[in-house]
Amino acid sequence: MLRLKLALLNVLRNGRRSFITLLAIQFGVISLILMGGFFASMYEGMREGVIRSQLGHIQIYQQGFNQFGSQQPEEYLIDAEVLQKVTKLVEELEQVELVTPRLNFTGLLTDGSRSLAVVVEGINPEKEALLSSAVKLTAGEDLFEEDTDGALIGDGLFKSLNLSVGASLTLMATTADGSFDARDVTAIGAISTGTREVDNRFMRMNLQHAQELMYTEGVTRLVVLLNDTKHTDEVMALLSEVFQEQGLALELRSWSDLADYYHEVVNLFDGIFFVVQIIVLAIVLLGIVNTMVMAVMERTQEIGTIRAIGGTRGEVMGLFISEAFILGLIGSVLGVIFSILLAQGITAASIMMPTPPGSSQNYPIRIFTEADLLWKNGLFGLLIAVISSIYPAVKASRMVITKALRFA
Amino acid sequence: MAVVKLKGVSRYFPVGNKPITALDKVDLTLERGEFVVLRGASGSGKSTLLNLIGAMDDPNEGEVFIHGKALSSLSDKQKSQLRSHYIGFIFQSFNLIPVLTALENVQYPLSLQRIANNEAKDRAAQALAQVGLADFIHRRPNQLSGGQMQRVAIARALVTKPDIILADEPTANLDSETSKQIMDLLGSLNRETGVTFLFATHHDFVLSRASRILELKDGHIVKDEQLQNLNLVDQIASGEKVG
Ligand SMILES: Nc1ncnc2c1ncn2[C@@H]1O[C@H](COP(=O)(O)OP(=O)(O)OP(=O)(O)O)[C@@H](O)[C@H]1O
Ligand SMILES: [Mg+2]
Repeated sequence: MLRLKLALLNVLRNGRRSFITLLAIQFGVISLILMGGFFASMYEGMREGVIRSQLGHIQIYQQGFNQFGSQQPEEYLIDAEVLQKVTKLVEELEQVELVTPRLNFTGLLTDGSRSLAVVVEGINPEKEALLSSAVKLTAGEDLFEEDTDGALIGDGLFKSLNLSVGASLTLMATTADGSFDARDVTAIGAISTGTREVDNRFMRMNLQHAQELMYTEGVTRLVVLLNDTKHTDEVMALLSEVFQEQGLALELRSWSDLADYYHEVVNLFDGIFFVVQIIVLAIVLLGIVNTMVMAVMERTQEIGTIRAIGGTRGEVMGLFISEAFILGLIGSVLGVIFSILLAQGITAASIMMPTPPGSSQNYPIRIFTEADLLWKNGLFGLLIAVISSIYPAVKASRMVITKALRFA
Repeated sequence: MAVVKLKGVSRYFPVGNKPITALDKVDLTLERGEFVVLRGASGSGKSTLLNLIGAMDDPNEGEVFIHGKALSSLSDKQKSQLRSHYIGFIFQSFNLIPVLTALENVQYPLSLQRIANNEAKDRAAQALAQVGLADFIHRRPNQLSGGQMQRVAIARALVTKPDIILADEPTANLDSETSKQIMDLLGSLNRETGVTFLFATHHDFVLSRASRILELKDGHIVKDEQLQNLNLVDQIASGEKVG
């Protein structure tokens, strides 16, 4: 009781020094929480962006598509019968928001004077509108089922062909049986997926129209959107079980399997975060060690006295570590509180970030303050404080008593 | 059993390449209730001797026994515990903990012994009353005079009921009037509690209160004089009024 009180009084004793130590701890906690929270929001933005513009949460393919489909995509289409059956099975799951088919192929888009290679996606416009909520219309109007020959052209492609809304184009493609065919399409609008590479060579049209062009009733994939990204693994497992039971030769890919770019960015930024963590750790550690060593020096005679009247080395160590613990606790709690306030302030200010590399849309800065991030970094601050005190505490406990007592 | 026993104790300090002999083969026994004054010129080895008896320093030769235990056989932790239970210290510059009140300063050595807060508080208050500071228990050291601070320090040394209280020039920082009061207090505490006192001092007025006078010179005990006047045992034997 009194021993703890002494630690507390010692913290209050040199207000300026304790204040500096508290600042150092708060600096550490706040910078890590803000950075972590910003990265988390960025990851989430990227993740949800890619899910809701291109990938969905889960994609279902004919077995073998991912291994051989790039050579002979027409050999690995899901046929109409399976498509219906699977759609029904998937839609039954409560975690599923929707499931929609896509037919993908490459073609040549020409406006009469110029031709460009394009990645064509035949879609169900109504369902796709729900799934691709992150796909933005940058010109013209959205695609509807009635627009039998309507096409949405990737933003970059739209610009590079110098198109205007309503322009007539011709789309040529190799059909499923290996011959060559062409269809007229009308550019009813331009879209942006958020990924520039995609926007430069991408177009969407009605599934039926695409199927006619390809002479097929099949589709390349079924895209499943869940009501929450966190259910992905669970539904993956569920579906593969169901498909096996039903004898359906299908394979599954999650958004995470398909989002290489997302993972690269996350890895890069996690690496950056790690380096920053080390730097912050070093700064805070040095700051606290420094002030603690000063406190130990100043109190040399007192340490000698405590030892003389019966305090063990452990007692002296415990005293200084307790002081650091108290400072760490206060500093971390304050750091967490200020972090939340700052995060909310910065998010509310809607400061626009510069357009990220490879992206065609920009977002305001958002900083997440998930409980996980808060308590982990709060604990981190507390730990740094305690760890920093170990060296000074050991130094204090190892003093030669007679020398310490003579110290004025 | 002797409270303190030194057998052939020597202590050297390496200064340059020729070591200084601070104590040279000292033999000494202190008994319970003695009120021993340690005299000697500056540098004669008084502080060195007190530090060795206080289990804060180790001799280069010989052995120190406190409460029958050979100090050389004890670990640092055991020595700390020995100091905690059997030895009290009074310092020249009082050495109170500035952030604690008088009561807390006196309570602290009991807390180090893990004695419960309430009991420690009661005993500390009692000890402060014994040194005449009942009205000052909630003051901080900086709100006390030098004499009062030294009384708090005495209460702190006393509160654990040690075998021996060691004091290295406890009155050196006090004016002569206060010094006399402090010495009177120590004398009466010696008689009341039977605790052995050993103190180093330059003040001669202390001599009249001593039961034994030791004189050091160049690390040797050159004089060991038993006086009859204030010895506890003698007093009790002669039925003299205590206090
Ligand atoms: N830590 C040390 N290092 C080197 N020499 C020391 C040390 N401590 C004491 N000495 C030397 O040992 C001798 C005895 O010193 P000590 O402090 O015991 O004397 P003292 O009688 O207490 O003197 P004073 O009356 O001035 O306090 C002195 O010569 C002193 O210089
Ligand atoms: Mg001395």
